[in-house]
Amino acid sequence: MIEIQNLSKRYDDTIVVDDVSMRMEEGSITVIVGTSGAGKSTLLRMINRLVEPSSGRVLIDGQDTMAVPEDELRHRIGYVIQGNGLFPHRTVAGNIATVPRLLGWEAKRIGQRVDELLQLFQLDPAEFAGKYPHELSGGQQQRVGVARALAARPALLLMDEPFGALDPVIRSKAQDDLLAIQRRLGTTVVLVTHDMEEAFRLGDKIAVMDEARLVQYGTAAELLTHPAEGFVERLVGTAERPFRLLSLTRVRDVVEPGTADGEPLDASIDLREALARMVWVGRDALPVLDSSGAMLGRVSIGGILAHGRQAP
Amino acid sequence: MIRPAVFLRIAAFALLVTFITAPHVFAFAFEPFTENGAPAIYDQGSLLSLTIAHLQTVFGAVSASTVVAVLLGIFVTRPSGLEFLPLSRSIVNIGQTFPPVAVLAVAVPLVGFGQAPTLIALFLYGLLPIFENTISGLTQVPPLVLDAAKGMGMTPRQRLLNVELPLAMPVILAGIRLSAIISLGTATIGSTVAAKGLGEVIIAGLQSNNVAFILQGGLVVAVLAILLHDGLMALERTIAARLG
Ligand SMILES: Nc1ncnc2c1ncn2[C@@H]1O[C@H](COP(=O)(O)OP(=O)(O)OP(=O)(O)O)[C@@H](O)[C@H]1O
Ligand SMILES: [Mg+2]
Repeated sequence: MIEIQNLSKRYDDTIVVDDVSMRMEEGSITVIVGTSGAGKSTLLRMINRLVEPSSGRVLIDGQDTMAVPEDELRHRIGYVIQGNGLFPHRTVAGNIATVPRLLGWEAKRIGQRVDELLQLFQLDPAEFAGKYPHELSGGQQQRVGVARALAARPALLLMDEPFGALDPVIRSKAQDDLLAIQRRLGTTVVLVTHDMEEAFRLGDKIAVMDEARLVQYGTAAELLTHPAEGFVERLVGTAERPFRLLSLTRVRDVVEPGTADGEPLDASIDLREALARMVWVGRDALPVLDSSGAMLGRVSIGGILAHGRQAP
Repeated sequence: MIRPAVFLRIAAFALLVTFITAPHVFAFAFEPFTENGAPAIYDQGSLLSLTIAHLQTVFGAVSASTVVAVLLGIFVTRPSGLEFLPLSRSIVNIGQTFPPVAVLAVAVPLVGFGQAPTLIALFLYGLLPIFENTISGLTQVPPLVLDAAKGMGMTPRQRLLNVELPLAMPVILAGIRLSAIISLGTATIGSTVAAKGLGEVIIAGLQSNNVAFILQGGLVVAVLAILLHDGLMALERTIAARLG
């Protein structure tokens, strides 16, 4: 668990992070959103002390980060940045091995760990271990960047716009992969983005920053239904709000008994996508299957809209 | 299959080695340049030992320039040394503006004749390209890469040795190459203050009005310079290719 207490950062007279307090739960994904220059990166970088706070403190599992030598602290915290910052003079394997090497792991253990991570990120070790970063696609580089950050099994992963440089299709895949890997490893993730879609998709909790202040901190549903101030309301997009709300719920949660004709929907897709499919095929209801192919019932436009209206 | 360019270099190297070990084989080629039955081939010492001495002088001076310039370049790009950057730049620039002959003239009264004043002149002259390239190489390292290195918990020393220097290496090597080529040519003037080297052949030619000697000295230095240039260039390319 990370506890941020009254954290501030000042450069000369300008305050870039103003008295922020928040708590991030073990094993959760916290997304920090906000406009450019709001202080998101600064807040993130104060957690691993790449930026020294002007006042306040950060506790990780109850321990003040100031009590640990900064290099040691960073060995324990994964760090991923936009454009990934891979070492151009090191192979994929060499890049991933960076922190284990700094920690003095023996070669055999490092080799095993590298293979394991490459497989986890669907990169064939035989093909990719010996490649240099410039020989990879943007999406592959990004995966290697995350693999590198996870190499020494950090309990905490900090990501500063990790998918910012990817095209929409690859980005969406990268987000899915991150979610899957995070759920599997139980890593606590703090991720900075200015993409609201990304925040809704990934964040267990979302922190909204504006002009150095933390203006709201809550779940996606809380932000949508009770935006703390005008800024948050504009950020979540007034017009899109009902749809955003829909995309937070899965079809399996609104299945009605009964059957319907037409191409069945998968129970794991969200309501926004289900609604779009129904409009597209011109039906009021569609059957729902679970992942094993068993019939669960049906979902109707009326049911979905009813869900979109009610405040969760 | 050997590419023509590679073949040309191998041929040049073979020719050079043959010439400095058995120059008399080539006497026929230099005969037309002699007058009054003067010797066609340098006869006041072995070309081989002069070439070796010449290369030793260059190697010694360039090694010293490299060590000093790279260390200085590292120092002035660290946060603690940043304020010395302008000062050290001007000092090194002055080293470059002094003509080597002037340095020799100043150095001889201080350290006497022989190898020493030549080494000093070449050393000073070689500093600038290496220093400038070290600075530009180190400052060209992408900030993102440095940020990542820091974020992963590398100490300043680890960042320098594992990230900055390897990435700056091609540029630093280009500086060393430039220095080495300049030194190779400039070292010939060392013979005016009694340093052993290929300059002796040229000076002997000038003194006895023997064009054949001048040509021999000049050609050996020129071929050495080309080969050295190509060799170091290939090394830079190999390293740079890895960086993409
Ligand atoms: N080293 C520094 N010195 C002075 N000002 C700084 C420094 N670093 C950041 N700032 C300022 O602090 C403010 C917040 O910067 P920060 O990088 O945290 O913003 P951000 O929310 O991450 O923005 P972006 O979305 O553009 O990355 C900006 O106005 C920036 O100019
Ligand atoms: Mg930022």
